[in-house]
Amino acid sequence: MIEVKDLVKTYGDLAAVDHVTFSVPQGTILGLLGPNGAGKTTTMRVLTTSLAMNSGKVTVDGYDVADQPQEVRKRIGYLPEVPPIYGDMDVISYLKFVADIKDVAPAKKANRIGEVLEMLDLENMSRRLIGHLSLGYRQRVGLAQAILHDPDVLILDEPTRGLDPKQILEIRKLIKSLSGQKTIILSTHILPEVSSTCDDVVIIDQGKVVAADSVENLSQRLAGGKTLELEVKGPAVEIEKAFEKLEGVATVKGVGRESKGINKFEVTTDGSIEAREGLFHCVVKNKWVLYQLNPVGMSLEDVFLKLTTKESVS
Amino acid sequence: MNANKIWAIARKDIGHYFSSPLGYVVLAVFFLVTGFFFALIVEQTRSASMVPVFQNTIIILLFITPMITMRLWSEEEKSGTAELLRTSPLTSWEIVLGKYLAVCVFFGAMLSATLVYLVIMVFAGNPDLGPVVANYVGYGLAAMSFFALGLLASTLSENQIVSAVITYGILLMLWVIGAAGGSVQGKLGDLLKYVSIFEHMDDFFKGVIDLSHFFYFASLIFLGLFFSVKVLESKRS
Repeated sequence: MIEVKDLVKTYGDLAAVDHVTFSVPQGTILGLLGPNGAGKTTTMRVLTTSLAMNSGKVTVDGYDVADQPQEVRKRIGYLPEVPPIYGDMDVISYLKFVADIKDVAPAKKANRIGEVLEMLDLENMSRRLIGHLSLGYRQRVGLAQAILHDPDVLILDEPTRGLDPKQILEIRKLIKSLSGQKTIILSTHILPEVSSTCDDVVIIDQGKVVAADSVENLSQRLAGGKTLELEVKGPAVEIEKAFEKLEGVATVKGVGRESKGINKFEVTTDGSIEAREGLFHCVVKNKWVLYQLNPVGMSLEDVFLKLTTKESVS
Repeated sequence: MNANKIWAIARKDIGHYFSSPLGYVVLAVFFLVTGFFFALIVEQTRSASMVPVFQNTIIILLFITPMITMRLWSEEEKSGTAELLRTSPLTSWEIVLGKYLAVCVFFGAMLSATLVYLVIMVFAGNPDLGPVVANYVGYGLAAMSFFALGLLASTLSENQIVSAVITYGILLMLWVIGAAGGSVQGKLGDLLKYVSIFEHMDDFFKGVIDLSHFFYFASLIFLGLFFSVKVLESKRS
């Protein structure tokens, strides 16, 4: 549904988006993850035809954003970082205006607006001036504007920003319920949001894609349980040799000394409980002292931090 | 080009004029000043003529225009709503024409209040209506030209004040350039005089509707709107 190939956008010498490539199959939700300034918003602005790219090819439902921007605009709903709302209009007038400029059929306008107000729990606020609404409600009006014309594609820049936990859950539920019918790209800093809402994830840092996979795969690739961290008091070299001989142990790496002769090791195993027990018994048999025996996993947080601080993920 | 979309944008922008004190204050000031001039001139000249009123209030137009055009695009950029307009199935011409229509309608409301003076004159005196019509036409054309240029200035900055200042600059230039033309000889002097708005207003003030002046005003309007569209388009890159 959405294809991004080699997208480049530069501002002078700075490449805000540097040969980014990814695709989003129809009916799926993609999470765009990255630190501030990574290029997520710029990428989204190119996708929504708000910004022209320097080079590359971006298509939405087969329509090229450079050659057929109007066709693309008809098919997307966009919620920018700052919700594009008019503070001096009331919610209903605003949505009527959006309906007019987005080609919602006049006959369906009133019904559709009512539907969307209900979906986003805005019925009580419908006559209120948007400028008088709290941040959370304003965000919801922004979302209302994005889904009003029932587009096939939704591009949401931090859709849960400013919402309280209850509202965040509701919005995530809403987004999830739209998947299947719609193709959605959402950008976020909130990693649990990606794991709980998205099918796929693309991690962007400094304009480049550093990882792209399904959420499941990425988490599994770096799942915990197979790597253990140990703190043992004893002679480092001998400990290492002893561990390496154990059944179920793959690699042993000394990762430094704590104080008072306590050595830290990172041991990768086959993940079995026997391997763990083996390590324990080994320490006891040699009359060393065990201070710590922990599984080390990589959550999405860890992946994110690692990838965006320029360490490679094995 | 979709007329419904143009009207949707116009309606929204007309709403903006009346959702803040600005629209009302501008109207009040306009009514006050034109009313004052009308009363003063009728009292002084004892004649039922609107012409001096128009001649004097053209200057108000110079001052008011930036006030009412400065927010047309600047505010959209500032508040982030420009993103909504850019990513909706709208053409830049639809956006520009919609906003232009809004300010013209607002001005229409302003001008229609002066019809009160006209009615008073018709009842109290025996005014020559031909010149009155000519004056209204000239005044309207001048206003529409100013607005097109003000709209262009608004697209040039995210900051309303900067847009207003640019507008003042352009309008003052148009105003004084004729004086410069007076002191320069030959072809250049003629050119400068041609660009001056007073050259073209003069006939209308005298009660003459000369179609050749339409070209001048039409050019200003077209230039203002055309370049507004160009600036809007350039914001995508």
